[in-house]
Parts: sequence; C-alpha cells; structure tokens
Amino acid sequence: MNMTALIMSSSLILVLATLMFPLLTTLSPKPQEPEWAGTHVKTAVSTAFFISLLPLMIFLDQGMESITTNWHWMNTQVFDANISFKFDHYSLIFTPIALYVTWSILEFALWYMHSDPNMNRFFKYLLLFLVAMIMLVTANNMFQLFIGWEGVGIMSFLLIGWWHGRADANTAALQAVIYNRVGDIGLILAMAWFAMNLNSWEIQQIFFLSKDFDMTVPLIGLILAATGKSAQFGLHPWLPSAMEGPTPVSALLHSSTMVVAGIFLLIRLHPLMENNQLALTICLCLGALTTLFTATCALTQNDIKKIVAFSTSSQLGLMMVTIGLNQPQLAFLHICTHAFFKAMLFLCSGSIIHSLNDEQDIRKMGGLNKLMPATSAYLTIGSLALTGTPFLAGFFSKDAIIEALNTSYLNAWALTLTLIATSFTAVYSFRVVYFVTMGSPRFLPLSPINENNPLVINPIKRLAWGSIVAGLIITSNFLPSSTPIMTMPTTLKMAALIVTIIGLLVAMELAAMTNKQIKITPMASSHHFSNMLGYFPALVHRLSPKANLTLGQSVATKLDQTWFQATGPKGLTLTQMMMAKMVSDIQRGMIKTYLTIFLLTVALAVLLVLI
Amino acid sequence: MTPVHFSFSSAFILGLMGLAFHRTHLLSALLCLEGIILSLFIALALWALQFESTSFSTAPILLLAFSACEASAGLALLVATARTHGTDRLQNLNLLQC
Repeated sequence: MNMTALIMSSSLILVLATLMFPLLTTLSPKPQEPEWAGTHVKTAVSTAFFISLLPLMIFLDQGMESITTNWHWMNTQVFDANISFKFDHYSLIFTPIALYVTWSILEFALWYMHSDPNMNRFFKYLLLFLVAMIMLVTANNMFQLFIGWEGVGIMSFLLIGWWHGRADANTAALQAVIYNRVGDIGLILAMAWFAMNLNSWEIQQIFFLSKDFDMTVPLIGLILAATGKSAQFGLHPWLPSAMEGPTPVSALLHSSTMVVAGIFLLIRLHPLMENNQLALTICLCLGALTTLFTATCALTQNDIKKIVAFSTSSQLGLMMVTIGLNQPQLAFLHICTHAFFKAMLFLCSGSIIHSLNDEQDIRKMGGLNKLMPATSAYLTIGSLALTGTPFLAGFFSKDAIIEALNTSYLNAWALTLTLIATSFTAVYSFRVVYFVTMGSPRFLPLSPINENNPLVINPIKRLAWGSIVAGLIITSNFLPSSTPIMTMPTTLKMAALIVTIIGLLVAMELAAMTNKQIKITPMASSHHFSNMLGYFPALVHRLSPKANLTLGQSVATKLDQTWFQATGPKGLTLTQMMMAKMVSDIQRGMIKTYLTIFLLTVALAVLLVLI
Repeated sequence: MTPVHFSFSSAFILGLMGLAFHRTHLLSALLCLEGIILSLFIALALWALQFESTSFSTAPILLLAFSACEASAGLALLVATARTHGTDRLQNLNLLQC
C-alpha cells in the first residue's frame, strides 16, 4: 500500500484510539487516582492533537484525503451499514482544531473544577463528548453521523446539568435535550428518506444517486436538524440557558464544537443543496433572522456568559447565512476561526468569574484592566477577533462572508439584517469590555483575584495565538472551490468595517451615558424586548403549555364529562336510579309500609265494589 | 245508612287508618287495634239488637274475651320488642335484614 496513505489512515485511527483509551480504562473496577484527570485525560488529548497534525501536514503538502472503511456492521439483503471514516479536508482541518481547543479547555478545567469532588467524572464526560464529536465529523455514513449526533446531545445534557442540585441547571439541561430532539426529528426524516429512496446511507452514494430526485423533503429535514442543534431561531432558547453548566462546558460544547455540528452537517451534505433554491433561501433567511435576533438579545443582557452565548448564536446564524449563499467553505472557515476566539472568550469569562468569587453580573465587575491585566488583554483580543478587526482570525472569515453577501444576487432583507447584526456585534462586545475592564471596580474589595496560575494563563495564551494567526494560516492553505468575486465598489468592500466602526462609536456614546441621567422616564419597551429575549421563552415555555393544559382541562371537564357523559349515560343513570330508589324505598321491610299498602288496597276494593 | 251504622263504621275505618299510619310508637298501633275491636263490639251488639236474634246475643261477649287474649298477646309482643330493641319506636323494627 502507498506509504503516505498508510501513514495517514493509521495516524487518524491512532488519534481515535488515544482518545478512547482513558475511557476504556475507567471500565476496570479499580478506581482512578485523584490526579487521573490531569495525567491521563489531558495528556491523551494533547497527544492526540500532535498525532493529528501529521495527517494535516500530509494533506497540506499533497492534498490527500482518505476514506477508511473498517467493519461491516450490519448487512441485510438490500441495505448495509459499515463503520467508515471520511478524512477529507473538512474533517482533517477540524480535528486538529477541535483537539487543540479541547486541550486548552481541559487544562483550564483542571484549575476551574479543582474543588469539585467529581472532577474525574467531569473529565470523563468531556472526553466522551470529544470522541462523539470526532465521530460525527469523520463519519462517512449517516448512521455513524447519527451516533455522533446523539452522543454529543446526551453529553450536552449530562454536562449542562452537572450541578444537578440546582433547579435551573436541570431545567436548562432538559431544555437542551428537548430542543435537540425536535431537531433530531428532521435528521431522522432525512435518514429515512435516504434509506427508502436511495437505499443507502453512505454519503458518496447519496451524492451520486441524488441527481435525479427532488431533494426538498430530506433537505427540509436536514435544515430542521441544524436548527435544533445549532440553535437557529425557533429552536434557540436552549443555548443561553445552557450557560448553567460550568464554564469549561460552555467553552467546549456551546461555543466551538457541539453547536457547529448542525452547520457541519449542512456543509457535509452541501452538494445536495446546491441546486435546490428553496433550501438555500430557507437557510439564508433563517440564518439572517437568527443572527439579528440573538444579537439584539445580547445587547441588554447582564450575565457575561449569556452575552457570549448569544454572540455564539449570532455567529451560528452567520454561518447559516453563508450556507444559504452556496459557500460551504466560507462557513467552514468561520467555524474554525470562531472556535478559537469564542473558546478564549469563555475561558477569560471563567477566569474572571472565579476571581470575583463566582460573580457573573457585569454590572458588578469593573476596573479589571489594572487588576487582571492578562485576562483583560486576552478578552480584548477575543472581542476584536469576534468583531472582525482586520487581519485577526475573525476578519478572514467574517469579511469574506460579508463580501460574498454584498456581491451575490440575493434577498436584500437578509443582507440588511446581517449587516445590522454585524454592527450589533461590535456594540455588545464593546459593552462587555467596557463594563468588565474599564471604569472603577464595582465588586467587593476582598475578591480572590489571582490569574497567576499557569493552568489558567497558558490555555488562554495558546488560544490567543490561535485567534491571531489561525485565520491567516487556514486561508493561505485552503483553496476555495469557487472563485470569490474580487472586484466591487469601495463602499461594498469596506461595508463590514464601516458598520462595525459605526457600532463601536454608538456603543462608546451609550457607554458614556451610563453615569448620567438624560431622561427621567426612559423608553423601556425596546429594552424589555431585548432583555426578555424577545419574549420568546415567556411565550413558548410558559404561555403555550399553560394554554394547552387549560384547553385540555376544559375539554376534559366541559366536553367529555359534561356533554358526553352527563347528557348521555350518566344522565340516564341518574333518572333511572332516582326511580329505582323510590320503588325500593317502599320495600324496605317496614311494617308501616305494608299496612299502608294494605289499607290502600282495601279502600280501592271498596270503591270498586261500590262504584 | 243510619247514624249508628255510620258511627261504628267510621270508628272502624278510623282505627284501621290509625293502625296503618301510626308514626312513632307501636303502642299507638295497639291502641288503635283496641279501638277497632271496640267498634266491632258495638257493631255486634247492635246487630243482635237490630235483627232481633237472641241466639246471637252472646257474640259480643265472645268477641270481648278473644279481644282480651289478643290485647294481651299484643302487649306481650310490645314487651318483647322493648326487651330486644330497647324501645318500641317503629324505626327500630325492620323485617328485612338489610
């Protein structure tokens, strides 16, 4: 066999084996030593990262991709399911990035979860999640993808509800599972359609056979699956609620890896969508709506983790817009760059939260610029990368997306929404930086501010390097399959930068007004709309179920029990029983009754005789 | 009908109705029974007078004797009821066992 192909396939299988090994050792009856999390899990992930760099280098050098089919799992007469791994450019680039980010997060979690008695179990859950995610990304057939999909969903549930003594955490975990399940219906619809009409779950076969079919039905299913998993509008409330989990969970699952699974699915199966105008338009409009709505909600949140969560949701909407533009590679680029700076933002938030004795409200932070200089520097870098500052990581993906938006023949409404959302990104990022790092401190004096632990700073430093150079590295090595449009008017070319700067200026003006009272009766309705998340959770989680239950109750009592029962059988029973009671009362055995009847009979007989 | 005829007939009927409609005490039923017997006694006595049949004159005395037995039987029943049920109130008397 070709040496290069052998190296590539075996190193990738070795990556998976390295990740699975700590999990398998937990099956033995001997309990782990307390340092197992640090010694075994973190080194497994970092080793896997370095191993996965080898196939990445082979790919960058020779452009080689491979598919490895290992095992015929189930074969019926007309259908077979195999275990097969596809290492194409998407999974080859995503796997090292995911492992790098996970390595940093695990190192951070060694510090963050230090006082937790179940830290080993926490790391086991994170590792299991990572294995499921890698399986999802490298899947070559829908069955394996579904295994990875469900795996990440379940681990998300277990990790969000980590502090399960807290009722809010349980609610949030349940929300995550239910919303993901609604999306899973779409995935199962698509899989069933593929099994019935194309008789295969292998992705290559699906691409080949789908030329003659109208793919609208499975594409709607796939878009529904992405809506659920990637928190698009309609199935989005679980993502801000998922911030109930520990910060490493938020950093890993709900910023870099799990929530991009839906977008990744659409990227993987993009050739099915290329020619289907309906699916593309749905993606475009749904993504545009999501990105603006969640950016609006982020503007007035006061919990630092929720702001970053909404920022994630907004960027996911942007990725969906990119898919709607027929540019899956730009969406993938944004996934990769977004992983770095979003994870870094979450780790900075975690460091700040722990230093301020578990304070998460930005109204009670301030002045950390002088007190935690490293963390606030990394926070600023992350925010700048998020807003698309030229030549940081976010710029390469975000600016390319906005340029593609501006120069395509598409829905102007989607374009407008996306541009407004881009300016909002600058606004809420500046709000976070202003409230956290600037001004004077608003927290208690004796806060245990300490960022000197290398377990905290090294991961964030690594991710900061990634946020700075990743965009450049990936763009230089990644050939686009469709030529981007190079010539456009200057205004369009600078559009992203212009709206971002406008947003920044507006935010600075608003921040300067925070310590003055300009209006005695402020206009509160727009603030309430944003703060209450557009009233979506209030309507969908409270009002709808209550209305449903009231309807059920009134149907059960008024319709079922009254009209059907009381006018029918029960009413008849009542009348009959009344008469039966009257008759049986007489026959109780009282002598008086008998004598009365006797007398009546005698009187009747006399009357009959005489008349 | 003659007034005398009417009077003992109505006495009989009233006593019968009192027997049938007695409300609380068994004793009132027995009293009504005595009333019935009394009206029958008067009827028999008037019958002998009306039809001038001397051989029938003993009938009222016979009735009286038998009524005494019957009244004593009724009183014995009353005492037995009072012994078992504790009172002669009619709501305690129930032929059927339910």
